[in-house]
Amino acid sequence: MAKWKPLERMDFLGKAYPRVEGPDKVSGRAKYTQDQAPAGMLYGAILTSPHAAAKIIRIDDSKVRQLSGVKAALTDVHPTGTVRYAGEEVAAVAATTPEILADALELFEVQYETLPFAVDIETAMKEGAPRVFADKANISDARVEEEGDLEAGFAKADVVVESEFRTQVQVHTPLEAHGSLAMWNGEELTIWDSTQAVHGVREGVANALEMPINKVRVICQHMGGGFGSKLQPGRYSAIAARLAKQAGAPVKLMLDRKTEFLGVGNRPNSIQKLKLGAGRDGRVTAFSAITYGTAGIGTNAGVRLPIVYDIPNYRHEHYDVFTNAGAARPFRAPGCPQAVFSMDQIMDEMAEKLGMDPLEFRLKNDANPARQQEWRIGAEKIGWAKRNPKPGSDPGPLKRGMGMAASIWWPGGRGTQAMITVYPDGMVEVRCGTQDLGTGTRTYVASVAAEELGLEMAQVRALIGDSDYPKSGASGGSTTAPSVAPAIKNTAEKTREALAEIAAKHFGVSPAQMEWQKSTITVKNSPAKKLGWKELCSLLDTEPLEVRGEWVEGLSSAGVAGCQFVEVAVDTLTGRIAVEKVVAVADCGLVLNRLTTESQINGGVIQGISYALFEDRLMDPHTGTMVNSDLENYKISGSIETPEIEVIIYDEWERGVIGVGEPPTIPTAGAIANAVYNATGVRLREIPMTPDRVLLALAKKS
Amino acid sequence: MKPAPFKYLAPASVEETLSMLTQYGYEAKLLAGGQSLIPTMNFRLAQPAVIIDLNRVSELAYMRPGDSGGLCIGAMARQREGEYHPLFAERAPLIRETMPHVAHPQIRNRGTFGGSIAHADPAAELPAVMLALNAGFKIRGREGEREIPARDFFVGMFATAMQPEELLTEILIPPLPPRSGWAFKEVARRHGDYALAGAAAVVSLNEQQRCREARLVFLSVGDGPVEARGAVQALAGEIPGEEVIRAAAETAAAVDIDPGSDIHASAEFRRHLARVLAVQVLHQAYERARRA
Repeated sequence: MAKWKPLERMDFLGKAYPRVEGPDKVSGRAKYTQDQAPAGMLYGAILTSPHAAAKIIRIDDSKVRQLSGVKAALTDVHPTGTVRYAGEEVAAVAATTPEILADALELFEVQYETLPFAVDIETAMKEGAPRVFADKANISDARVEEEGDLEAGFAKADVVVESEFRTQVQVHTPLEAHGSLAMWNGEELTIWDSTQAVHGVREGVANALEMPINKVRVICQHMGGGFGSKLQPGRYSAIAARLAKQAGAPVKLMLDRKTEFLGVGNRPNSIQKLKLGAGRDGRVTAFSAITYGTAGIGTNAGVRLPIVYDIPNYRHEHYDVFTNAGAARPFRAPGCPQAVFSMDQIMDEMAEKLGMDPLEFRLKNDANPARQQEWRIGAEKIGWAKRNPKPGSDPGPLKRGMGMAASIWWPGGRGTQAMITVYPDGMVEVRCGTQDLGTGTRTYVASVAAEELGLEMAQVRALIGDSDYPKSGASGGSTTAPSVAPAIKNTAEKTREALAEIAAKHFGVSPAQMEWQKSTITVKNSPAKKLGWKELCSLLDTEPLEVRGEWVEGLSSAGVAGCQFVEVAVDTLTGRIAVEKVVAVADCGLVLNRLTTESQINGGVIQGISYALFEDRLMDPHTGTMVNSDLENYKISGSIETPEIEVIIYDEWERGVIGVGEPPTIPTAGAIANAVYNATGVRLREIPMTPDRVLLALAKKS
Repeated sequence: MKPAPFKYLAPASVEETLSMLTQYGYEAKLLAGGQSLIPTMNFRLAQPAVIIDLNRVSELAYMRPGDSGGLCIGAMARQREGEYHPLFAERAPLIRETMPHVAHPQIRNRGTFGGSIAHADPAAELPAVMLALNAGFKIRGREGEREIPARDFFVGMFATAMQPEELLTEILIPPLPPRSGWAFKEVARRHGDYALAGAAAVVSLNEQQRCREARLVFLSVGDGPVEARGAVQALAGEIPGEEVIRAAAETAAAVDIDPGSDIHASAEFRRHLARVLAVQVLHQAYERARRA
C-alpha cells in the first residue's frame, strides 16, 4: 500500500505556506463566474413565484419581448406547472443590460391559482394542514435507528434527564451567489459555473438539455464559497444555456440574493425530544430521541443522533416534515450541528445531576482515543480549571462562563484521476478535474506534486476547475483532500518512474538502478552519473511527458475527532452574548497546508457562532415567504463578532489525509450554549440564542 | 438589482438646486450620501422620476464654529468627519461619541449629516442626537430661509416638517450649558446594524449639582426619535442619583415610549432595552456633568 514519506522529511506538507492563487485574489485578477464578461454577453434572470403554493395558469411574455434590449425569454422553465414554494422558477429572460433585465422581470404577466400552504413546521404538522404534495402526507414515516436494549438501559440508569431542543433553518449564504455563464459554439456548450462539482454539473446539464456529454464543458476557476449548496447542478445552468441558445449570445445568469435565500438550499431545522440515562458511576446507559425536521419540499432533514458518545442502548425515531419552502441541501456537516447542540447540552445537564465535572463525564463516555487527548488539550488551553464553579455566580450584570462540545466526521477519500505533464524546460503542470471552493485545493494540488517531485512550488502549475481535466468528484463531505491529494501523489510517483526510465536509458542501465535525491537522479553507486532536474527534462527533447495516475489506498483515511471550548460573557441587562474565546481542537491526519487548514477551522468556528447567535430564516405564515431574505436582515456573524480563535491541530500524519472542512462547525453552538449556562445558570435550548431569548430565560428563572 | 430609469441632475449651487426642486417638487429626490436612497432605488422600493445630486454643491460641505461655543455643520458634511474633526471633540462630543455606532466606516465616509437628518429614519442615531442637543436646522426654499428646531422637525416615520421644494442646508448645534454631561448607547444585534433600541442623554446641573435641564431621546422605539418628556420632568431639580435615575428610566420605558414589534424585536423587548439604556445614559451623562 502507498505511504507518505515521514513528516520530518517533507518540504511542504505539514507546514504553512500561502495559497498559490492568493496574489490573484487580492489583486482582483482572479476571475469568478460573477466576473465573466465575454464580448456580446447578455444578462439573464429568473422570474420566481411570489406564492408559496400555486398553479401557474398562464404566463404572458409578450410585453417582455417587446422591450428593447430583451433578447430571449422562456416561459416553460417550470417542470410541473405547480409551484410549491415562494422563490421557485417560473420564467426567465435575457437582456443587454442589468437595468433592462430588471425592467423586463416586471413585465411578465403570470396568472396563478393560489393554493393553501404551510411554510413552518408547526403548521405543517397540524391535523388537517394543507398538504405540500397532494399524494403524500406532510409527516413522513418514522425512520428508526436503534441499538441494544433501550428499556434495560433506562432500567439501569440512576438518573434520567429529559429535554427538548430546537434549531432553526440556516441558509448557506456563500458570498458569491449561484450562477452560470453559458456560451455556445455551434453545438458545443461551455458553462462557467460557481460550483463545487464541475464534472457533476457537466453531467447534469447534458441530461437536462438532452445533449451528449462530450459537447458540454464546465469551468469553475475560482468561487466564492458554497458550503454544500453548490454540489448539484442548478436549474439556472440549463436555463442560462437555453437563453443563450435562443439569443445567439453568451448569457450570464447569477441569482440575486433573495432567490439565493429562497431556492438554493438550507440546513433543515429540528425539534428534538431527548432522554438520557446514566448510572451514578457516570456511565451513560441509555439514550432515546424523537426528532422532527423540515427540509422544505425536500427530504433528509435528519438529526445525526446519537452523536459522538459511546452509548450502549439507544433508539432514535425521526420524522421529515414537508413544508412549502425551498428544499434543503447538504450544509457543512449535515445533521451534525443540530445533534451536538442538543447532545452536548443534555450531557452537561446529566453531569450536573450526577455532580460530576462535565469534562470528567465526557472522558468517561467517549471511546475515541484521539478525542480523549483533545478534551484534555482543549481544557488546558481554555483554562477549564478556572471556570466559574457555580453557574450564574458572577457578581454584577456581566457574567462569564465556559462550555465545551464535541466534533466528529466520517467520510474519507474516493476515486480521483489526475495527469502530470513535464515539459522539456523542466516546468510541470498538474491537471485534475476537482475544484477549489475556497479551501485551498489548488494550492495542495501544486504542493503535493512539488513535494513528490522534489521541486519548488513555482515550478508546478496546478490546473483544476475544468471538466476537460481528469475526473474528480464533488467538493463535499470533506472528501476533497483525501480524494485529490492521494491521486496527485500517485501521479507524481508514476511521473518519477517514467523519468527514471528515461534516465536509465540515457545511462544505459536498468531503471531499478536509478535513485532520486530531491529532483536529482543518480545511478546507484555511481555518483558521477547524475542528472539534475533540468538536464533530465531536456532529455525529453520536444515531447512533453504525460503521465496519468489515480487515487490509491493507503494515503488517506476517514474519521475525524475534535472538540471545542468556548468562553462567553453574557450581558444579563441586554441579553447579548459575546463569545470571547474559542479553542478549537481538531485532528485531520496529515496536514497538507497548516495555513489553509487553520483557515478552514477558523471558518467553521465563525459559521458555528453565526448559527448559534445570529442566523435564522424567518418565514411569514401569512404571505408564505421569507421576510429576511437579504443580508441586512438575515444576520451573519461579522468580523467584530468574531472572537479570538485558538486552533490546535492534533497531528496524526501517519493516518494520511483526512478532510477537515466540516467538523469544526459542528460543536460551536453546543459549546456556546453550555458556556451560557455556566455563565448565567440558564439553559438555552433553542438557537439562535438571541438577546430576547436570553432575557426571557433569565426572567423565567427568577 | 438595478434602479428603474430616472432623470439625473447635478446642480452646482444651492440656488440651482432650489430652482430644480421648484420645477420637479414631489417627483424629485435629493441625493446626498446615497446610503439609504440608492439601496431603496436598487431594490425598486423607491422609483423617483428625478434625482438631484447634491454632491457638487460644495458650498454645503463645511463645518465651522458657531456663535458662543456652538457648531455649524453644512448639510453635505460627511459623517466620518464627525469622528475626527477637532471641532466635534471640542464642541459636540456627543456627536463624536455617537458616530462609531452609525453603520460602518465605509458608510460614514459617504453618508452626510444632512442626508441622515432629512431621511428621518426612526432607527437612525443622528436624529435622536439632534433632539438631545436641541439642534436647529436651516431650511432654504424659493421664498427664503427658515429655521426649524429639531423637536418640531421630525414629524413621523421618514417624514419631516420640510416641504418638497425645500432644502436642508445647515445644522446648528448650540453650546451646552456649563456643568453639562452627555452620553449615547445603543443595542444592536451586530455592531453596525440598525439598533434594536438606542438612547442619547444630555444632563445639565445647577450650582447645587441638581438637575437644571435634561433631555433623554430614544431611537428605534417609535415613528421617529422619541423624547422622554415624562422622564426628564422627574429629574428636574433632583440630584440624579441611582434611585432618581431608575425612576426616570422606568417612566421613560413605561410611559414616554410606545414601541412597535417587528422581526428584530418585540415591543416588550424594546421597552426593556429602553429602560436599561436610559439608566446607563442618564448615569453617564450625570457623572460627566458632575465632573465638568
